[in-house]
Amino acid sequence: MLRKIEQGRFGELIEALLARGPLYAPVRDDRGVNFQLIRKASEPTLDFYNTLQSPKLAWFPQSEDLIRYRLAKGETKGEAISGPVAPTVVLGMRPWDVKSLAIMDLLFLGGGKEDPYWLEKRRLTTVIGYGLASEEEPDGADFFRTLNIGAADSDGSDVFLLKKDGDLLLEGITERGKGLLGELTFLKEGTEEDERYLVAAKAGGKDRKTRFFDLDANAAADKLKAVFADNTFWEKEAEGCISCGTCTFVCPTCHCFDIADETLFRDGVRRRFWDACMFTDFTLEASGHNPRPRTFQRLRQKICHKYSFYIEKFGVVSCVGCGRCTRLCPVNIDIFSLVARAVNL
Amino acid sequence: MTAFKDIEERLKEKAKDLLEKGEVECVFAYGRGYDERHPRPYVAKTKEDAENLVFNEYCTFNLARYAVKEPRKKIAVAAKGADSRALVQLIQEGKLKRENLVILGIPAAGMVDAKSGLTLDEKTTGAFANPVVYDVLLGDKLPEAKNSPYEVLGELEGLSGDGRWEFWRKEFARCLRCFACRKACPMCYCDPCFMDQSRPRWADKSPTLDGNTMYHLTRFYHLAGRCVDCGECTRACPVDIPLYLFHKRLAKDCEEMFNQAAGMKLEDKPVLVDFRVEDGDEILL
Amino acid sequence: MQNPYLPMPVRVIKVTTEVDTGEIKTFRLAFVNKEDEERFDYLPGQFAELSIYGKGESPIGIASSPTQKGYIEFTVQRAGTVVPGQVTSALHDLEEGAIIGIRGPLGHPWPLEFLEGKNIVVVGGGFAFTTLRSLVNYMIYEENRRRFGKISIIYGARLPGLLCYKDELALWGKRDDLDLCVTVDKGNEAWEGREGFVPAICKDVAPCAENAVAVICGPPIMIKYTLPVFFNLNFSKENILTSLEMRMKCGIGKCGRCNVGSKYICNDGPVFSLAELDALPRDF
Repeated sequence: MLRKIEQGRFGELIEALLARGPLYAPVRDDRGVNFQLIRKASEPTLDFYNTLQSPKLAWFPQSEDLIRYRLAKGETKGEAISGPVAPTVVLGMRPWDVKSLAIMDLLFLGGGKEDPYWLEKRRLTTVIGYGLASEEEPDGADFFRTLNIGAADSDGSDVFLLKKDGDLLLEGITERGKGLLGELTFLKEGTEEDERYLVAAKAGGKDRKTRFFDLDANAAADKLKAVFADNTFWEKEAEGCISCGTCTFVCPTCHCFDIADETLFRDGVRRRFWDACMFTDFTLEASGHNPRPRTFQRLRQKICHKYSFYIEKFGVVSCVGCGRCTRLCPVNIDIFSLVARAVNL
Repeated sequence: MTAFKDIEERLKEKAKDLLEKGEVECVFAYGRGYDERHPRPYVAKTKEDAENLVFNEYCTFNLARYAVKEPRKKIAVAAKGADSRALVQLIQEGKLKRENLVILGIPAAGMVDAKSGLTLDEKTTGAFANPVVYDVLLGDKLPEAKNSPYEVLGELEGLSGDGRWEFWRKEFARCLRCFACRKACPMCYCDPCFMDQSRPRWADKSPTLDGNTMYHLTRFYHLAGRCVDCGECTRACPVDIPLYLFHKRLAKDCEEMFNQAAGMKLEDKPVLVDFRVEDGDEILL
Repeated sequence: MQNPYLPMPVRVIKVTTEVDTGEIKTFRLAFVNKEDEERFDYLPGQFAELSIYGKGESPIGIASSPTQKGYIEFTVQRAGTVVPGQVTSALHDLEEGAIIGIRGPLGHPWPLEFLEGKNIVVVGGGFAFTTLRSLVNYMIYEENRRRFGKISIIYGARLPGLLCYKDELALWGKRDDLDLCVTVDKGNEAWEGREGFVPAICKDVAPCAENAVAVICGPPIMIKYTLPVFFNLNFSKENILTSLEMRMKCGIGKCGRCNVGSKYICNDGPVFSLAELDALPRDF
């Protein structure tokens, strides 16, 4: 199922999506482009290469209320806060970000216990993926090709969006996506020529040059386990690391969180919010024991979690090569070259 | 002005010399990153390591932040103007000992923040061109900036109190609580930081606007009279909160009230620790 | 689907102060709702998150045995010398009758099927004896006793006043279907039992490794010196079990805090054999 609309009528598309329910899309401000909950049809933009932060916030917000309670003399009753009431659309996700959802699913829906908050949002959210058009060049920090992700991969999207000359092509991938496109009756039918363009773009996306090394996930997992005890290596790699949480917070696959009760007078909320394995007190136990008191141990944990432990547990690398951590690291630590060095040690 | 390439050569030479003679255990400087525009903080421990040192306009890091973690070691630190002020301030505060430090002074102008593309000057941060204290100077002295580093505050100071409050609330609303600002800051050495204490808990643990405001305002005030305007906090911030503007404003107040800027002279006492009879009493009223 | 983050209400029906410093207390809890009690189907070695709204949650090993019907017990140390433990402090301030929350059971129990038919050596130190107490009570329960071989228990604390479950220890001491050896690092005038560190006592008692499994919990320093004793006695790494502690929040393998290697200690543990731990990175 292929539909299209002129790029000049993008606002109309947004208007129609906004009428259906909450919509997240990329918005530009003077600092760059980020996903936001859209209020006006004029806000979203498709003119960007990569958003500064990942769109994970639509499923895993920085801060999320889990349980509401009211302190009482006898029994304090808690009430679970249910997921979003309205079906949501996230528009403009790059292929690597779409891929991150499947990686996060393994954690949030696996291990024998489903996370109801993640599940509810996954169930009710439509993903409109957005392929990188052939003229848009990767920026040097990213390396999604190393993770075998194409610049115009549509897997994982419900609808796949791609620029073509003056048009926007919209391909229905899943039943949900096709249903959505069916509702948007003002869209035009795609032509056979559009179809051929789309197929060629997807194939071409596989060859888009980003930083690359030949990554064999299982071999990398084993190698990192072997390198794990090499403190000299990790100390050298981490000597610039300031142990902040930037890399984890902008990462589309970092999922660690903390839970805290926050009460104002008698009304309170138990909420979860992003946490980072890079923080000193992340593993600090009540006894005072901290298994990872040193910076290099925490950087090692982050790298190995993504490129070894996750592979061993779930069979995939927990990284999509979006390059955000590298781009925003205050001291220019680069996961790509770090892993490459470790694997080739 | 000495070319960055020449500074790099002298830095390598000096580091090699110090390490070879065993005069220091390590040299905190800059090394190669994943490309030219993205160098990294680097610790040279052997004379072979010294070969890996680099210096270019993107070496903006304030290495005092690493030096303060090694108070007992004999170390050498590459220090540009503001970085040297940070070292001086840390010495004043008793966190570092002058005799344990070999300060490799780097006069530098035209440093560039790779992320924003902005030049480090009096309109941003780190405008101080020459190291205030050094053991070796790796380049020729430069003329200092002509304009006041506080001129950039004009626009914000022109706003009403409500306007400034609105400005900062909007900025703090974006805060991710990644703590890159405090982690990059050489003066933020409190252990534990008040934000990590749970009894009492000073601010919400989750990133609420009120908690963010509490965090930043408290941090600003903890740095009053101590901030050397190196700009690391602002460059580190992944969401570009212009923290330097607040720090500059407090620095300006301190300078006006006590006629002292942070980290300028080894013999100074930290301005809010020192008491002089002639001190103004405006802050008490 | 039951929301795994939502605690079930339980009433504190008994509080026992275990040690003379008052810093360790056992809380006996009864479910407020019958269906919650049925849902809370646990085995020795598992843990639960105790919840006090406004303070938070704390993961605590279950100290009672499922053979003890009508209640569950948790032995809780007031944390806070280094990291102020908000929840454990609040728990310690509770009086009988108070209602708190519980989430669980969480994690894997001691591998009971693996233990069946074997001689069991239980080694515990100080306050870390809680899930071992659950295991012992489970094994010596009338209907279960014949499923297990010889049961030997070595339990130590620094001082006599720091031993937990003193009444129960006295009862166990009178039984002839288990060997109990209680020791303290340093006794006092009233102490008539053994004196000595747990590793030394283990060496002394020298349990036979033949068809035997050692289940060991205690402070890191005790574990460190006890393990070599059991290696020397020819216990294989598969036959030495322990329970790991890591900082946890969610308890269901999501929040990432207790991740070590490919394991999430809360969900994949906390019970591991030494052979399994050897395969993990040394990061706990």
